Amino acid sequence: MHKLRFSVLVLLGLGLPAWACDDAAEDASRVVIAGGSLTEIAYELGIEHRVVGVDRTSNYPPAATELPSIGYVRTLSAEGLLSLDPTLLMGEHDMGPDEVVTQVANAGLQVVRVAQSLTAADIRAKVDCVATVMGAPTAAADALAARLAGQADALNQVQTDRAPRVAVLLTLGEAGPVGGGADTSAQNMLDMVGAQNVFGGFEGWKPISLEAMARSNPEYLVLTQRAVDGAGGIDKVLSHPGIRLTDAGRSQALIVFDGMSLLGFGPRTLATAVDLAMQLGTLPSAEG
Amino acid sequence: MNTETLQAGAGVELGVRTNRTWILALVFVGTLLVGFSLGAIHVPLPALLSGEASTLERTVFTEIRAPRVLLAAFVGGILGVAGAALQGLFRNPLADPGLIGVSAGAALGAISMIVIGDALSLPESVRPYALPLAAVAGALLVTVFLYAFAAWFGHFSIVTLLLVGIAINALATVGIGAFQYLSDDAQLRTLVFWMMGSFGRAGWQTVLPAFAIITVAGVFLLRQARGLDLLQLGEADAAFLGVDVARLKRVVILCTAAGVGAGVALSGIIGFVGLVVPHLVRLLLGPVHKYLLPNAVLLGAALMVAADLVSRTVVSPAEIPVSLVTSALGAPFFLWLIARVRPV
Repeated sequence: MHKLRFSVLVLLGLGLPAWACDDAAEDASRVVIAGGSLTEIAYELGIEHRVVGVDRTSNYPPAATELPSIGYVRTLSAEGLLSLDPTLLMGEHDMGPDEVVTQVANAGLQVVRVAQSLTAADIRAKVDCVATVMGAPTAAADALAARLAGQADALNQVQTDRAPRVAVLLTLGEAGPVGGGADTSAQNMLDMVGAQNVFGGFEGWKPISLEAMARSNPEYLVLTQRAVDGAGGIDKVLSHPGIRLTDAGRSQALIVFDGMSLLGFGPRTLATAVDLAMQLGTLPSAEG
Repeated sequence: MNTETLQAGAGVELGVRTNRTWILALVFVGTLLVGFSLGAIHVPLPALLSGEASTLERTVFTEIRAPRVLLAAFVGGILGVAGAALQGLFRNPLADPGLIGVSAGAALGAISMIVIGDALSLPESVRPYALPLAAVAGALLVTVFLYAFAAWFGHFSIVTLLLVGIAINALATVGIGAFQYLSDDAQLRTLVFWMMGSFGRAGWQTVLPAFAIITVAGVFLLRQARGLDLLQLGEADAAFLGVDVARLKRVVILCTAAGVGAGVALSGIIGFVGLVVPHLVRLLLGPVHKYLLPNAVLLGAALMVAADLVSRTVVSPAEIPVSLVTSALGAPFFLWLIARVRPV
């Protein structure tokens, strides 16, 4: 919460347009998107033909990677952006550098910065924001909103009394697995599914030593597909020295998701959360 | 080990030298013009001058491209001349602003501002300057420490300075690592990309103060040419010939810290320019500092504008970090240099 307030302050300080989700853009015919979850929403709403460029975090659906790339969401290039002749730049809370965003805004490009989504309600607000700003067809917007509302309702039924001990691992690097602590999207995901984060004692994504891994002793491991691919398959993950010694490793309680659907807090994330809650047993499988 | 490099080009005739200086000046002006005319957006310069360009073209040129190209030129120029002056001062062909810890100090200052700046709740009018000022402060802090340590050590030999510089580099690296560990996800990404270097953040508000600092530092460095020439005979002989060696060291180091600090503050760390440019100029014009220093400014600026041009056009509409371009060119040259100066 504190961080959100700070970024609003920074935006005001630089004279940038802050969140402006209430109104349709003046002209949303050529849109550049900086942020993977926003691109996913545009595709879900069926208005991808108006997207003329995306950043490098926009890799789902695969078709999005065919669009011109404006680089990484935090290293945008002012001239490069403008060369796509866009009418609107829509970005996540962390698009930058701020100087570049100011430059393109001064050059007359409408800029909309969408608030970070950390909860089910935030995701629904984000979808509404994209639909409003880009002027999506009402039918598509309502259908997506209804689907997300159903998933959010399901997540409200999550049992919080048992709170299984879960570790979320981003990669299994040479320096040890990288785990998600407090103040990460991993924590937000675990909050949604009524699980307890075994790495809640530190902030951010940190490499976990083998001993710390054994001591934290999660019952379930949640991994990104990239972590499994990087390790060389499920067998390699299970024989990893940091994982072999945990309850999750012994009972082979591994749950694997695409990284963006698990941690991106885009339109797929609520479905992933429902799925995860069922696998953790905090939601009865019959529902949803 | 330095004699061979120093002698390369020593026999360059005066007439040839003048011609080559003119060629370098032409290369500099040409690169600047190409830098101004090319980019992701086509801006026709004649239309711009005659006032026929569209508002967008004008804004792109004056607010985005012009400050960026000029910043690249200033940073390249100061890195070139600072590298040449430091190589002269240390009488070591491998010296560059990175070596005495100035770049690392500036990086440490900037990174500490990225990580703890949020907590300082600075007034909004100060915020755009906070990062550059922290970088200059870091560079100056390193320089002052270098002095204090060398003074406490009793004497102020070049070797001491060099060794202390290496130790300071190691300490600054520890500090940078500590801040990386402490930073949250967003800060970490900011500082990783800051360290890679880019001129894309240039805007008039922040580049103009930096241009002033760099110009003053550069002019002072250019005026040390004669002292640096005589210093090549050795510290004692230079002192006999009337060079105030202590003052020379002070001016070169302080100006390097201020100029490079101000540049690094806006562009991030850019490797190898300070090392490579003086060697190229020496090959062309010989080792006399009167020619070496000003031409290092020209060539450094030209190379940096060209590297930035590559960085902002080859993967357009995205861009690649400029230090990747300079290091990709500089690192092979560095290896060639090491092979060349190897004692026979």
